[in-house]
Amino acid sequence: MERPDQQSIQRITHDTDILIIGGGTSGCLAATEIKEKYPHLSVTIVEKAHVDRSGCLAAGMNAINAYLNPGETPESFVKYVRYDSCGLIREDLVQSMAELFEYSVKKVEGWGLPILCDESGNYAPRGRWNIKINGESLKPIIAKAARDSGAKIHNWVVVTDLLMSGERCAGAVGFSLRHNTFYTFRAKATIVATGGAAGLYKPNNAYDAQHKTWYSPFNNGAGYAMGIRAGAEMTSFEMRYVALRTKDAIAPTGTLALGVNAPLVNSKGERFMQTRYAHLGGDGAPTPYRAYGPIQEVKAGRGPCYLDTTHITDEQSRQLKMAYLDMYPSQVLYWAANDIDPARHPVEVQTTEPYIVGGHCQGGYWVDIDRQSTVPGLYAAGDVAGGAPFKFVSGCWAEGILAARHAGKEVQSMALPEVDHLQVETAYQRCFDPLFNHGKVKYGVKPYDMEVRMQKIMEEYAGGTSQNYEMNEERLQLARKYMDQLPGQFDQLVVADMHDLMRAHEVMDRVVVGQVLIEHLMARKETRWPSYQTRTDYPERDDLNWLKFVNTRRDRSSGKIEVLFRPYQQLVPGDRYHPGAKPHPKPN
Amino acid sequence: MPVIVDPDKCNGCHNSKQPPCVRMCPGDLIVKDFQTNKAYLKYFEDCWDCLPCIKACPEEAIRFQLSYQMGFFSASLQPHIHRDRQNITWTLVDAHGHKEEFNIRTKVLEVALDERIEGEPTPDFSI
Ligand SMILES: Cc1cc2nc3c(=O)[nH]c(=O)nc-3n(C[C@H](O)[C@H](O)[C@H](O)COP(=O)(O)OP(=O)(O)OC[C@H]3O[C@@H](n4cnc5c(N)ncnc54)[C@H](O)[C@@H]3O)c2cc1C
Repeated sequence: MERPDQQSIQRITHDTDILIIGGGTSGCLAATEIKEKYPHLSVTIVEKAHVDRSGCLAAGMNAINAYLNPGETPESFVKYVRYDSCGLIREDLVQSMAELFEYSVKKVEGWGLPILCDESGNYAPRGRWNIKINGESLKPIIAKAARDSGAKIHNWVVVTDLLMSGERCAGAVGFSLRHNTFYTFRAKATIVATGGAAGLYKPNNAYDAQHKTWYSPFNNGAGYAMGIRAGAEMTSFEMRYVALRTKDAIAPTGTLALGVNAPLVNSKGERFMQTRYAHLGGDGAPTPYRAYGPIQEVKAGRGPCYLDTTHITDEQSRQLKMAYLDMYPSQVLYWAANDIDPARHPVEVQTTEPYIVGGHCQGGYWVDIDRQSTVPGLYAAGDVAGGAPFKFVSGCWAEGILAARHAGKEVQSMALPEVDHLQVETAYQRCFDPLFNHGKVKYGVKPYDMEVRMQKIMEEYAGGTSQNYEMNEERLQLARKYMDQLPGQFDQLVVADMHDLMRAHEVMDRVVVGQVLIEHLMARKETRWPSYQTRTDYPERDDLNWLKFVNTRRDRSSGKIEVLFRPYQQLVPGDRYHPGAKPHPKPN
Repeated sequence: MPVIVDPDKCNGCHNSKQPPCVRMCPGDLIVKDFQTNKAYLKYFEDCWDCLPCIKACPEEAIRFQLSYQMGFFSASLQPHIHRDRQNITWTLVDAHGHKEEFNIRTKVLEVALDERIEGEPTPDFSI
């Protein structure tokens, strides 16, 4: 695309009853649900890529990771997720999504997703909460359902800001990657479903593999950033997601641990989770400890660590490769290129850059049971929504559905909110500044340069991989100091085309998210989730003072980030540090 | 370079303005060069290795290759979508030339050679 000039930008205003930002997993499910329950409402999906293969599901999926297998209940699920998240979750949110697993899974199966079944016709389980699928084409299947539902889909439109009508969200603005267009979407209700954030910290690999990340490198936390700018309350960013992944390829390890019951071992062959973390559940310990454990082994000189697959047969090894081909094909090529056969060699593991992902951990919008944020008219669903970890694909569907149902009801007899012209002009300026106005800067900064600067600060002062994810007050203060300098440099960002304009917005969003993340990390003065959130100056868990949520809200005019605390409520009785009774014994 | 468009096999999907590989990349990394009438991975350092481009290519003209830092190029992995669109076969060749095939059930939807873009000022696409 040639460098666009100011005059060539056309403006399109599009009015809709419900606007969905991000046509990923939960956005598409939200759209189909609204059109099904309220066919007369107009629904618009705005997606920065093409809905057929956008977001986390681009490569496919081999399991639905959150499902109530026979005997399990929403309550048993809450108990497990609470245990897995070290005793602190929004139980109301987790329970309400579990109640919709069956509904949403049946729906997607009805659209054509192949789900594996056992001899008795039940979905084939993988571990306690997963079921196996052949999900290579899961995303196009879901996208087709959204398209067929009658929702209007704008592909390749990057949303940059929300619009407000007084205190109410009234839509959003964005620009097209394909033609020189600035869009104003005016809506009665808006559902943000842009996924989580990768790329805040230094990535695991460099150069032409810098995007060989686990989480989608194209999910930059835009939805968090636009909400933060609009004054929405965010929760629990400090529960970062540090994932245990295969070495280099950074592929998910549930396929190994749950698929073929591979235990963690260190270089001496010791099953260290069983010996050192038995009191926490051994190999079944809460997920943060399954990252923390291997990190400690490497620190103590007993690395590298592996998931030991050497007990499996050649046929199982083949099955394992097939499971990865459905979800993460590069793992299979990596093994072939490096002479690794999981039936003969244990699979080396490492931990990832920290991500903010509300679907695995719980960083995101503070929402109510209907997934309404603290900004009226603005809903959040999927990885962008907070408080409900262990969502995975099915929990994201459930949240899209919950938001859709409530938004649909809410807008029934509502007029389109007014949006004042000045606000749209300001958003227009902010949108195109790096393309038009910053061009006057003599020596500009490229989006990639700023990204590397930001990642360096986050990595070194805010607990990156190279720091074993550890942090203390003094380092966080430096992180805050240097991160706070970056917004003042946004006017140095210079780009020449729409693709790079997207990259500029991605890095500006990441900076905003990073700033809020630092406030969360500073506020929680305990260590609740070792490795996700390791405070060397407050190394213990402290239920007396910290069994509560750390939330933030950025003032819309001053830009100051305020920290608030919200109480935890136990709804499902039982020991919060116990996974709850298993109706069926775990396969060994 | 993780995915490579083979210029000998790529026909630019004839006069498609937005060939499937260009449309299906979730990062907007592939572009079509209208001088040569071929697609290429313009932003190779931003590739996620997710492969929708390869699966959608009607000419099977895109090769998957690990970044060299991940391992040498001697191994290869290519998907092939069956005509019934209910199966995908992956052909894996390891570093010793040993070949293995994996046939997996799926439900691949048709990807058109081109597509009208919502909001395009002058919708002049021709396929
Ligand atoms: C590699 C990988 C494998 C996984 N495997 C499994 C599995 O096997 N089973 C399972 O249950 N879960 C799995 N998960 C988790 C699951 O995929 C995610 O939790 C889920 O897809 C998140 O849904 P979402 O709708 O929140 O985000 P996404 O599906 O990622 O959708 C977000 C969408 O928003 C768009 N977007 C972002 N910013 C903007 C913007 N500014 N403007 C417009 N659009 C924007 C993105 O392009 C994207 O389409 C996996 C995740 C990953 C990364």
